[in-house]
Formats: sequence, C-alpha cells, structure tokens
Amino acid sequence: MPGGQIHRAPRSPNAPGPDPDGERIRRDLVANRNLIDVRTNTSVWGVFDRKRVCVSDGDASTILTAKQIILAPGAQEYVPPFPGWTLPGVMTAGGAQALLKMTGVAPGRRIVLAGSGPLLLAVAAQMAKLGHQVVSVFQAASRRSWMMLPLRAWQAPQKTLEGMKYFGTLKRTGVKMRYGRMVVSAHGDQRLTGISHAPVDASWRPDLSRTETINADALCISYGLMPRTDLFQIFGCKMRFCEMRGGWHPERDDQLRTSRRDVFAVGDGAGVSGASAAILEGKLAGNAAAHALGACSDACLEGVSRRLGRALRRVHTFGAAINQISYPRAGLLDLVTDDTIVCRCEELMWKEVRTGIEQGGTDFRTLKSATRLGMGPCQAKFCWPSASRQIARLTERAMKEVGPISVRNPIRPISLGALAKKAAVSG
Amino acid sequence: MKKTSDVLVIGAGVYGTSVAYSFAKRGCSVTLIDASKPGKATAASAGGLWAIGESVGLGCGVIFHNADEVSSTEPEPVPRLFMHLLKASNKMFAELAPELLLQTGMDIEAEVGTGLLYLLYNGRQRRHAQSILDWLGRDQALAEEWDRQRVLAHDPHITDDVLGAVHFPGDNQVNPLFLNEALKRAAINLGARFAGDTHVTDLLMADGKITGVATTQGVFCSGLVINAAGAWAAKLANMIDQDIPLVPVRGQIIGTETLQDKLKSNISTVDCYILQKAHGEVLIGSTTEMVGFDTGVNYEMLTDLARGAIRAIPALERVNIKRTWSGLRPGTPDELPVLGQSPEIANFHYATGGFRTGIVSAPLCGELVVANALGEKPRMSINPFLPRRFNGLPKLKHVKTPRSAIQPDAAPPQSV
Repeated sequence: MPGGQIHRAPRSPNAPGPDPDGERIRRDLVANRNLIDVRTNTSVWGVFDRKRVCVSDGDASTILTAKQIILAPGAQEYVPPFPGWTLPGVMTAGGAQALLKMTGVAPGRRIVLAGSGPLLLAVAAQMAKLGHQVVSVFQAASRRSWMMLPLRAWQAPQKTLEGMKYFGTLKRTGVKMRYGRMVVSAHGDQRLTGISHAPVDASWRPDLSRTETINADALCISYGLMPRTDLFQIFGCKMRFCEMRGGWHPERDDQLRTSRRDVFAVGDGAGVSGASAAILEGKLAGNAAAHALGACSDACLEGVSRRLGRALRRVHTFGAAINQISYPRAGLLDLVTDDTIVCRCEELMWKEVRTGIEQGGTDFRTLKSATRLGMGPCQAKFCWPSASRQIARLTERAMKEVGPISVRNPIRPISLGALAKKAAVSG
Repeated sequence: MKKTSDVLVIGAGVYGTSVAYSFAKRGCSVTLIDASKPGKATAASAGGLWAIGESVGLGCGVIFHNADEVSSTEPEPVPRLFMHLLKASNKMFAELAPELLLQTGMDIEAEVGTGLLYLLYNGRQRRHAQSILDWLGRDQALAEEWDRQRVLAHDPHITDDVLGAVHFPGDNQVNPLFLNEALKRAAINLGARFAGDTHVTDLLMADGKITGVATTQGVFCSGLVINAAGAWAAKLANMIDQDIPLVPVRGQIIGTETLQDKLKSNISTVDCYILQKAHGEVLIGSTTEMVGFDTGVNYEMLTDLARGAIRAIPALERVNIKRTWSGLRPGTPDELPVLGQSPEIANFHYATGGFRTGIVSAPLCGELVVANALGEKPRMSINPFLPRRFNGLPKLKHVKTPRSAIQPDAAPPQSV
C-alpha cells in the first residue's frame, strides 16, 4: 500500500486515527493512474549491471530499466544488542507501531518503551491513547536536552506542537517518563517478564551499580533510524557515514542526485530527516528528474528548487535538532556481555565475534568468513551496524574506515524457481 | 606491529594461510598480510574436496569445459601426477581437522562419507563416464558407476530423469571459510602475525633480491616473500617485472537459505554443482569466465545455474536464495598450481594457481612450498609446479594449451 511506514494505511478499526497525508498521497496516485504505473505488493529483489532492476510480485520477475531513477527505500530501526534482547516480548518500537496500526493489537499488558528519539514518544502516546498500559518510557538522553528542543526547533512550530501533544497524552494517561536511563537487560525464561534499567552518563555509559528492575511483558526498543542502504550500494552510489543522519547514506547534491547522474535519493533512506522532509525531498527530486528528461524547464526547476529548498532547510534543522539528542552514543556498545547474542540469524555470541575481531577480522569480509556474522537471512543488515561500531572501537578507527556491508543480489529473498523462470522485460 | 620476520606471506586465502601455518609449525617467524578485497576465491569456493572428481573433469571442470568450447569433445583428466597430489592432499584432512580443532577450537566441518555424485542425464554422458572409469583403472575406491535405482534409493531428492551417476566415495567436503580461518588462527597461535586490510603498493628490490614490501600499513621486511595473492598473483609479480601467465577466472555462486532437509551427497552435473553445507545452506556453482577482475554477478548466468540446480534436485524450486556472489580463481594455462621459487629472484616464492582445486590441494601445496623454501626433502616433487615451466607459454585463454607439453603421462581417455 503506498504511504510507506509513516503513512501506512490503517487496516484495523482499533488502530490509531485517520492519516490525512497518507490519504492525500493515495488519492493523488489514483487520480493520476493514467500517468503513473503503480505496482503494489511489488519489491525490487535485485539490480544487475547497475541498471537492470528486477522486481517481483511474489511470482515471476520483471526487469525494468529507466532513464531517471528515484530511490526512496526508507529506514530501519537501530537496535543495539543487550542481554536478553532476543527474548519473545522484546521488539522494535516501529514493529510494535506497525502491529498496532495493522491489527489494533498491543504487544503486551505491561509495556515498556526504551531507547532514544521521538518515535518512542509517538508509539507510547498511541498505545496509551488506545488504553494499553504503558508502564514507562526510558529515554537515554537527559531531560534537559529534551527541554531545550523547542528552542532549537523554533523554525518548525508545527513539529514542536506535535511533540507537545505526545507529552500531553503521556502525562494524562500516567505514563512515567524516565530520562537519562537505559534498559540494560531483559529478563525471562521462555518470554519477557521484566527489565533492568540504569542511569547513563553523557555518552550513555550505564552505571550498573544503580540498576533497578521492574516487571514487564513487552519491551519496545528504538535507538533511532538507519537508512536502508542496499539499493544505493547495489546501484553503485557513493556512500558516506554520518552518525547524525543515521549512519551510512548516499552522497547527494542540492537537487538530491547521488554520485550517479541518473539516480536520486530521497526520504529517510537518503539520511534520516523525518517524514516532512521526505515529502519535500520527493517533490524536489521528481522535478529534477523531470528536468533531466526535458519535461520541466530551467526556470521551473529553479523556482521549485528555491521554494522547496527553503522549506527543506527548515525541516532539516528540526531533524538535526532531534538527531542531536537521539543519535546513538558510544555507551550503547557497553551493553553486550560475553554471552549476548550479537548476530541473531547465526546465533553468535559477543565473545565469538570479539575473538574474530581480535584475530584480525577487522573488516566486513574477513569477520564474516571467520565467524559467519551476517551470513543469515538478514545478510548483516541488523548485526553489522553494531558489529562495525565495536570494530571501530576496538581498532580505534573511524566508522568510514571500517566500512558498510557489501551488498549482493538478491536484496530481497527470491526463490530459485522464480529466478529460473524467464523474466518479462519492460520499461 | 613489528614489521620484520623470517617470512612474509602476501595473501591470506587458503594457500597463504596454509603456507603461513606450515612455516609457523617449523618455528619460523611469519607475517601474513591480506588486502580483504572482494573476489577472493576461497570465499567463493563451495569447499568440495573432490580430488578424483576434479581430476577427471567431472566437478567444476565439466562446466569449465562447456564454457570453453562448443565442440563435441568431453573434458580431459588432469595429469596423473597432479591427481596424486590432490589425492595425497585430500587424505591430509583426516589429520588436519582434529589438529586445527585442537589448535584453535574451530571445527572445519570436514565431512566423511558424503562422496560426490556426478549425475548422468544421457547416453553420451554415460559413455564418457565409462571412459573415465577405464582411465581410473576401474578402481572402486576411486569411482564407481551407479545405476538409476541406486541413485534414487540413495537420495530421493535427485530427479528421476537421471540415467545413473558416477560415485566418487572419497570426494567429500569441508567448510572452506572455516578451514581458511582455522589455518590463520593456528598460525597466529604459533606466533605468526596477521595484518588485514593491508594492500601491497610496491616490492622493493636490491641486488636481485626483495628487501621489503611497501604496503598501505607501512614497509614489511623479511628474508623470504611468498606470493599467495591468488588471482592477483600476476599483478604482484608484475611489480618486479616477473611475468606469470596467471589470470582471474570468475566463478559465480548461489547460496540458498538454510534447509532442514539434507542432501545425501555432493552433486555435480553438466550444468552445475550442488552441495549442502553443514549449516544447511545449499551452494550452487559455478561459472568459469574470463572477465578480468570484475567481481559482479550476471543475471542470465545465475538463471542458468538455478535451472541446472532445479533440473538435478526439483525440490530446490521453492527454496529461497540468500546471496549470490563471485570469486576470482587464479587460473594458469595448464590448470596446475604455481608453487615454489621464482626462477629469477631467489627469495620470491609462489603459492597460488589453485584454480578449481584450491581448497583440496591447500594442505599439501602449503607443505611443498615450505619444504622447497627451506631446502627440506619434500613429500613429492615440486618440479612440475615450479613457475619456470611457463617459459614461452601463453596465458590461459579460451583455447587450452595441450597438457602433453607439461606432463607426458597424461594420456586422455578416448571420448566416444
């Protein structure tokens, strides 16, 4: 369904209320269906020769090519490993939100949210509003940094207002906000029964001597978003690393063009900036791509760029202020213990991966061959963000030297049978 | 890191680590450096230890052969002397696996008794198989023909379109990545130093000897330099104007999701090989292409591999692909490894050219290179593999050099 993660169409009557932006996007697509070939339930599973785009709707493939390509792959949540994080009952905040929107079901009866960033507030407020019991929200950043936010975000009063509403809901429904604390471990035998939390310093190093434990049957974690980089990498776009934009993301010029003349990058997948920025970026890249094809004059593009550029700078400033509070700090890497699983697919414990690093596995390929880290179904999308930060820390190198994962086809699973079938070619 | 040692090994693939381990076992101080580039052949290897299957051209060889020419000929066996090397090296795994487990705690997943089945789809393939069995002297310890019933009874996953198969009972498999890592860690345990992400920028010469190796991590000095740079070995040699006819031969490979169901054997066919690793993934390979140092994958060729795999094991149709990738095998005109001393530079030795038998040949090739460098009496003669054999030979192209030029006893079987 068009709308992405943020404007995903609610399917359940118990889900949070209407979403006017999402409805408008979907209406526009329907109204222009003679101009736009909309393919739902269709994903890109591979890109060959950096130009042949293989898509599949679950059965046979179609190979698409285009003169101008706009990539808007979105982001995924960053969840650093900590003891107990693989217990049933622990999930990402975004996952819990999707569950709520699609089915109206809350993840538990005593819900704890923990991590950093505004998503935790939004999800907690949505849950509380629907009458679910949210016990506590733990924000790693200090109360002071949150209180300062309206000052930094004065250019985006609407966003500030939205944030105030969340805080208001949480206060009204009696959700306890805890600042400067992190969940340091999750407990339970077969499933989650409780969590431990501890205060953290400015770089989020937990003080485990002051740990407290509470009962909970659901723990929703989010330490901000990371761009999904696989499409950009497989198209051969130049990548850069910036902790404040969610880590690895493509380089872009003013018109949101990547290092490739024919590929644009928009939305959180191009560097985390939030939903309002994504809509503006989409418009700008759409105009720039149309201009490249001769469908939009120089003057038209210039006007659009000026207007959208101004609006974008405003929302980017707000996004930067939020990211400044919530970007993952070094102390998160202290949460792992020897026996903490750090690669869920291959069930590798931190001590195994640390040995791999100590024995010279200081880059993706070497560590992967040595330990099987990242060789499972997720193909390192979930483990590498933390593993690479651990390597950077242990070898005292910058993240850009450690590098991103190496992306290979298929970027989404496809069956051997579907690959073996002759693909249709279109576009 | 201290940058002076007795031996510097360039390249930490399976040959480089095997050489480093063999030196370390003899008490030499060893430094092992690696560039961690994509396309490393060890990482794109399926890990088949197909000493006999590959010797007679019925592993990767048959696919290579098909890519090679359109004529109606069949793949030829390798020189017998090389088959003896592969057999002897394959035997070493029985001791190497427990030794590495003891040294490093790593299980290299050396399987016993899986064997290789080369599936026969038609009469021509069967006639060719029979000529191969004759060449092997009808020795059932090496290979045996199985009829259709026996194949299907052995593994019901195999297509019932099969006519029969050749079974190679001693051709098992290992986890090539764990073998590589365990050899590296064993060498480190014995005092070797390892530097990853280290690219050689220059080989420094004085008085006809290499005096130092300049890298992105500084200059390394050693009395002896081993070129174990795999597909990049010729580039490395070129830095000191040494010319060896070694080129990258790309192999594309498909890895599936983990499956509960287990295949009973390693399988090879005229289209591809299919082998299931200890963790449950099935690896399907491999192409053999001369495309320089391109480490990409090609949609049409992957499609062919997928079709070949489904033809052999129909149930694979519904299995998801996890990853596709490629490796660059170091290939020589005679398809034999390049081992031992350079003819011109006394302290520059080669350990490369593993081509499609790099994993199975690594243990013995490592030993031979080290014995040659230290002047020990080797387990078998290294002479046929010395780089001096290339004097005057062209590079590996899609036209093969007649093997008789190198190994007179390699009488190929008569193809029907």
